[in-house]
Amino acid sequence: MLNNYETLLLLSPELAEENRKEIVSNLTGIIERDGGIMAPIDDWGIRTLAYPVRKVTRGHYVRLVFQAPGAFVAELERNIRITDGIFKFVTVRLDEAPKAADEAPKAADEAPKAVDEAPKAADEAPKTEEA
Amino acid sequence: MAFRKKFTPKRKFCRFCADKNMPLDYKRADILRDYITERGKIIARRITGTCAKHQRSLTTEIKRARQMALLFYTTVHSTDVKKKTI
Repeated sequence: MLNNYETLLLLSPELAEENRKEIVSNLTGIIERDGGIMAPIDDWGIRTLAYPVRKVTRGHYVRLVFQAPGAFVAELERNIRITDGIFKFVTVRLDEAPKAADEAPKAADEAPKAVDEAPKAADEAPKTEEA
Repeated sequence: MAFRKKFTPKRKFCRFCADKNMPLDYKRADILRDYITERGKIIARRITGTCAKHQRSLTTEIKRARQMALLFYTTVHSTDVKKKTI
């Protein structure tokens, strides 16, 4: 029986583009090898962390959504632990099937994008965070 | 008498029950930030008005977000404070 899972990885911001892709493709390869079904990779890009991790205040988040049997999660996490450059990870079981275009969470640091789209609306409704 | 008339504050309600589409997810740190204090403590449901069911999952999601450095555990270790002290 296949369950829905998602794994959020926190990668080092110092990793080169190709190293990061290699890590991710390696993990997706493991998922697919063991009979899992991958959904499109959700790349959040580099973000400021809430607290420094390994003395670095920024990190690259990548979210993997997949369907796999329950016993497989331990195997995936074993591989994540071996891989260098992954600071943190969390695997969560999802209730519903992964959607193709899952909306990316909007963080406070992504605010400038919204400002460009509606500069007037921002004036009318001031955010409490800035006040 | 006038002093008998008590001021009735606006009734609290569970935001997650009122709006079923509101995501309760560790990835949405912007929403979770409403339910923690400035120092990062989880606010009691007595104060926020969240229902028991949602408070339980809210707690789990906040803890997951802390684990992934989306929220800080305490301000002493937060990036903002660390940057200022450097």
